Parts: sequence; structure tokens; C-alpha cells
Amino acid sequence: MQPENLKSGDSEDLEALFDSIAAESSQKPAIAANIDIEPEKVFQPGDEAIDDEDHDVFHRIGGLTRSLHDALRELGYDKAVEGAVDSLPDARARLAYIANLTGQAAEKVLAAVEVSQNLQDQIYARAKSLDMEFDRLFAQEMDVSEFRSHVLTTHQFLKDLQKDSMQTNSQLTEIMLAQDFHDLTGQVVNRIATMAQNLEDQLVKLLLAATPKERRPAVDEMWLSGPAVSTEGRTDICVDQNQVDDLLESLGF
Amino acid sequence: MSPDQIKFLVVDDFSTMRRIVKNLLKEIGYSNSDEAEDGAVALGKLKAQTYNFVVSDLNMPNMSGFELLANIRADPKLKHLPVLLVTAEAKKEDIITAAQMGASGYIVKPFTKATLEEKLNKIIAKMFA
Repeated sequence: MQPENLKSGDSEDLEALFDSIAAESSQKPAIAANIDIEPEKVFQPGDEAIDDEDHDVFHRIGGLTRSLHDALRELGYDKAVEGAVDSLPDARARLAYIANLTGQAAEKVLAAVEVSQNLQDQIYARAKSLDMEFDRLFAQEMDVSEFRSHVLTTHQFLKDLQKDSMQTNSQLTEIMLAQDFHDLTGQVVNRIATMAQNLEDQLVKLLLAATPKERRPAVDEMWLSGPAVSTEGRTDICVDQNQVDDLLESLGF
Repeated sequence: MSPDQIKFLVVDDFSTMRRIVKNLLKEIGYSNSDEAEDGAVALGKLKAQTYNFVVSDLNMPNMSGFELLANIRADPKLKHLPVLLVTAEAKKEDIITAAQMGASGYIVKPFTKATLEEKLNKIIAKMFA
């Protein structure tokens, strides 16, 4: 589910990737110099300075990435972050499962509703027609042959009504059973929430590793006191989110 | 006691599933049912009152369906109680474990009314044999 270079762990592959990107960025001004300049382009006095700034930014980013990479490796967080990232494809598969299951449930419910509505429409139309016949009967507007026909129609309606009621009931059972998606998706959602919690935990550690030493004590106090994330802490997602927001704010993000 | 007097205990951590199972039991003809949200609550109820049949989920907080089953089979007063497991866990090893632990039946979610009815009737037929 993941690229081979991530599976193999650190290291040489990542370093090679890093080096190639660093090399590319340092060559960038030279490459830019080889590109044909459009004749109509008018150079402004500040252009050269901007190129220098770009170059500087590339180097700074490269330097920061190298320090972060080395620091993470020293602290052993690279594996932890890698593990957290590994869980993402699984989370995607689980979310796809939820989408599929809820989709199926919706289809099942809609189909059952359509069948039931059709049955109810027919029952309504036939009941209405019989009601009008009864009005004629009570108004003594019906002759004997019409009365006989009316009695037979009413009897047939009562027979069909029992059958239709059973069928409607069975559609209602289908609708009820379709609600089992709540249980099935709920279990998966809980697992994804745990996964997200772990990912967040690893990212916070990463952030800590990248925080200047003098600012760490405040962060340590907020995050690292007490044992590792407890079950209780894990379920209380709002509290954790507030902590994340506070932490990010304290770091100026 | 006739089959329609059987008192069921439906154990599941999801209230929706408890309602579904209770409603299905009613449709099948068993209207005497109670519910519990996990194995621990279920065990407390089973020890305090008389039930004739347990329909339980496997994956629950506090006490899982397997633990509940083990407790039931270890209790001299409850050990003969039929336990039908209704679960989303479709792993073969879980099904084998359930059978070895003495489960009376195993239904995988999602299931149909016909499946539940068939398993129930089979177990109940044995109860009254």
C-alpha cells in the first residue's frame, strides 16, 4: 500500500532523495540562466535581487529539512512518523467501507420506501373508489347487479389489503434492518478516530522536536506530563483538540 | 414454558442494533426481551433475573461477548443458557473460538430476518427437545 522507498525505512533512499532535491535546488539559478529569455521581456532593476532571495529561500528550506531529518532520526521519531503515515491507507480503506455501507443502506431504504409508497397509492385509490360506491349505495343509486359487483370488489379489496399490509410490513422490516449500518460504520469510525489520534500524537512529537529548546518546557508541561495517551484521553477528542490549538498558538502557528 | 414466553437478553453496545434485534425478535414471535449495553451489564442482569436466551455482540467495551460467554459457561446457574452471537467479526478464528467456548450459534452482521429466525428456531427446538 505504500511506496517501496518508505517501506525500506530511512535512510539511504530518503537521503538520496533529499540529496537529489538539494542538488536540484542549488543548480536552479544555473538552469534558469540557460533558459532562452523572451526578447520582449523588459528587466526591472530589482529582478536580480529577487533571484538571490529565491536562491536563499531554497537553501534555507533545504537546511531546515536536513536538520529536521537528522533530528528526527536521532530522536527515533522518524519510525514513529512513518508508522503513523502507514496507517493512512488503512484509514482510506475504512472510510471507503463506510461510504459503501451507508450508500447501500440509503439505496435499500429508498427502494423499500418506493415499493411501500406504490402499495399505499394503490390501496388509497381503491379505498377511495369503494367509498364513492358506498356513497351511491347509501343514496340508493345502486341497482342489484351493481350492488353484487360492489360486494365482490369490496371483498377482493379486503383480501388484497391483508396481502399489501404484510408486504408493507416486510418493507418496513427492510428499512429497520438497513439501520444496522450505524453499528457497522460506528465500529469503523471508532477505529479511524484512534488512528487519527495516533497520527496527531506523532505529529505533535515531531513539532516538539522542531521547537527551539527554550520554548520546549512550556510545551512539555502541556503535553508530556503523565503517562502516554490513556483510553480516557483518547475518547475525549475535544479536549485534545483544544490542547493542539493551544500548542499551535503558543508556537505562533 | 412455551417458546413465545422465552425471555431474551439482547447485548450490544450500539442502541440501534439492540432495537433492531428486539424488533426482529418481536416480529418472529418473541416479544419478551430485555437489553444490556455490554457484557458486564449483561452479566449483572443475568445474575439478578431469570433469562432463557442471550443474543450478544462480540466487540463491546468493558466486557466483550467472548468474556460474557466464558462467564456464563463458568457459572453453575447460567452454564446451560443458550448464547447466540451476532457480530461483525467474520474471522474464522473467532468463529472457531466461539464454537469451542460453547456458543449456541453465530450470526455475522449484516444479517437478515430469515437468518436470525432460522438460527433461533434451531436453538429453541433443541431447548424444548
